[in-house]
Amino acid sequence: MLAILKLLQSIFQTLHSEGTPGQVAAGIAIGAGIGLTPLMNAHNLVLFAALVLLNVSFGGGMLGLALFTPLGFLFDPLFDKIGLGLLNAPVLRSLWTAWYNAPLVPYTNFNNSVTLGSFVVWLATVVPLYFLTRRAVLVYRERYAERVVNSKLLRAIKASKLYNIYAWFVPQ
Amino acid sequence: MSTRVKLFRWRAILPLLLFVALMVLLWVLFADAFARRQAQSTLSSLLGTEVDIASLHIRATDAAIDIGGLAVADPRHPERNVLEAGGITFDLDPIPLLKKKFVLDNLKLTGLRFYTARATPARPADPSSPSSKILEETEAWARDKFQFPKLVLGRVDSLKSLVLKPEQLGTVQAARSFAGRVDSVQGAFEQSLGQLQLKALADSSSALATRLSKTDPKSLGLAGAKNTAGQVQKAIEQVKQAKARLATLEQATKTSLGSLEQGLADVEAARQRDYAFAKSQLGLPSFDAPNIGAALFGQQSTNYFQSGVHYAKVAQRYVPPGLQPWNRPGPKRTRMAGTTVEFPKEHEDPRFLLKHGTLGVAVGAAGQNLFKGEVSGITSQPSLYGRPATLVASGRLAAESPVSIDLAGMSRHFGAAPLDSVNARVGGAALPPIVFPDLPFTLDPGASNVAFRFAMTGDRLDGAWELGAEHATWSADSARLRSASLVESTVWKVVSGLTQLHVRAELGGTIASPTIKVSSNLDDAIAQRLRGLVNEQVAGAEQKARAAVDSLVGPQVAALRTKVGGLNTEVANRIPAEKGELDRVQKSLEDQLKRIAGGGLRLPKL
Repeated sequence: MLAILKLLQSIFQTLHSEGTPGQVAAGIAIGAGIGLTPLMNAHNLVLFAALVLLNVSFGGGMLGLALFTPLGFLFDPLFDKIGLGLLNAPVLRSLWTAWYNAPLVPYTNFNNSVTLGSFVVWLATVVPLYFLTRRAVLVYRERYAERVVNSKLLRAIKASKLYNIYAWFVPQ
Repeated sequence: MSTRVKLFRWRAILPLLLFVALMVLLWVLFADAFARRQAQSTLSSLLGTEVDIASLHIRATDAAIDIGGLAVADPRHPERNVLEAGGITFDLDPIPLLKKKFVLDNLKLTGLRFYTARATPARPADPSSPSSKILEETEAWARDKFQFPKLVLGRVDSLKSLVLKPEQLGTVQAARSFAGRVDSVQGAFEQSLGQLQLKALADSSSALATRLSKTDPKSLGLAGAKNTAGQVQKAIEQVKQAKARLATLEQATKTSLGSLEQGLADVEAARQRDYAFAKSQLGLPSFDAPNIGAALFGQQSTNYFQSGVHYAKVAQRYVPPGLQPWNRPGPKRTRMAGTTVEFPKEHEDPRFLLKHGTLGVAVGAAGQNLFKGEVSGITSQPSLYGRPATLVASGRLAAESPVSIDLAGMSRHFGAAPLDSVNARVGGAALPPIVFPDLPFTLDPGASNVAFRFAMTGDRLDGAWELGAEHATWSADSARLRSASLVESTVWKVVSGLTQLHVRAELGGTIASPTIKVSSNLDDAIAQRLRGLVNEQVAGAEQKARAAVDSLVGPQVAALRTKVGGLNTEVANRIPAEKGELDRVQKSLEDQLKRIAGGGLRLPKL
């Protein structure tokens, strides 16, 4: 329950932050890359560095990570099939062989079917994801933001005992 | 007026550097533990058995790794370790690490011990791991391919009843198809004889001769006589042609009858095989010397060879020949492991390579243990390295009694068929007792000399196992021995007085159809005593087996013999009769021809 509250708070704070819709959407798109692919790979260091160094919403990145990690687990069998198909494709063999024998690249574990499959799916969806998210944030802020802030539900949650317990653990 | 958003957040560099520093700190603190767990997991998965590492220390500045307390459990006997090593030091080549390749320039391994008892039994390996599957397959292969006669011997003073089914016997099938052949030969003979139309020819020729005998040649005149002589000559020619065709038929029929005799012999041979089959159904023990050796030491020999096949298959699974991409299971993690594909490339380093290593035993006082060995060329991609992996070790271990060891191994997984071989010779080793599960006694070979040779080239097997013990002792389970059968107690009488033991087992053939031959110095002595004991019983069993088979196939075989005999008689009677008739007709015609010629007509000589 606390994790769900945390996620809701993260969504809320991100949507109501001062970042532009584009910054929020870019953060979510990068966070989605970290969430969709297996964590312990070198490319995630690059994505994390991009999230920190680029002027995008860090909160959006964390939100993307939180939202897309479960999706990563869910779609692992699909990623495995896509990745294995690409790794075993004769036309790509020379590319994989060159990468496999290049410095540092093997630490991305691109030659693992799940890693490659999930990364390729993220690459294919990152641009549409960015534009969709940006549009969604715009629409939210224009139409719903104020209503949500003043909604009875949010006020009730904030007044609840559970939220008070949760608030003890949130750094001020 | 809109403000332009900056692309980079430069002020975040410091937190990022702090994050990186935190990662480095965590690495320094936990890298050893992480690497130790990873190494344990990888080796366990690779070997299909529990591998424990007591300590692992990465010396980053020296590019070296120190491992302490390595223990590899025996996959088939969880209560013992196949190998223990006190300390291992690897010297890493740092450059290939950039490409995630582990090239070890040197390895030093000390405190090596084999087949030691474990404090706690090893955990069973993950049944889904490739190594576990290979172990399971190898065990099933050994069970399926090597079945040795049991020396339980049972009680040979009473024979169990024998019930056979016709479909179990080869004679039934052989007789059925042979009966068809007999019918076919008989039919063909009758038909061919009919087609010759001998009766019609004989009748018409006889009628001509009879008619001429009643005619005066002088009354025919010159032209009539000439015409009549022409008719007679034509008839004689027809008779001669019929005789030639009859001779051909006789020859062909004799050939067919010969093949029928052979067919009868085949049916008889099938019956002999059925006798043997029926005898085997009685469960009567075989007391041939080779069977005794196989029954006593076959399982023991199979265990050694089975281990050889298992490790060779693991090597072939994880060290594939050639430079083609190959798939292996991905790393264990919370997410799905997936498949990791290797892409070897010529002139590059293999993913793993141990260039050279030294092995040593440092137990006891200096000079007591002089065991040293070297390994080289151990790699995951031998086609890239281009040289076989080798192991050579020899020396002496001074325990209570000195043990000498000579060991050589080679693994060549490039070029033609992959080859994995090992050659070991151990002298003076105290072997564990050999238990014969079906017999009420145990053999303690004591200090023995053991030689083991095994090679698997592609799917071809070649191996030998030898055991020589000069002071073997036998101990009986007195309770079981009291209730043992006559045969078992006779075997005990033979072996209990023997102290010398020499066993040799040879493995050959292929994985699909392996062969094993086991012999020992006990075989002849035991076989001779047992044969004397049970001769009468064996004869009784043979008689019973024959009777059981004969009751099912006897009438069929007898009917076949009668049928073939009848056909023989028919051919032997009919062909000479037909031939005699033709001879008679021909002579009669020739007589008439001469008579016509004597009547004044000069005819050409016949």
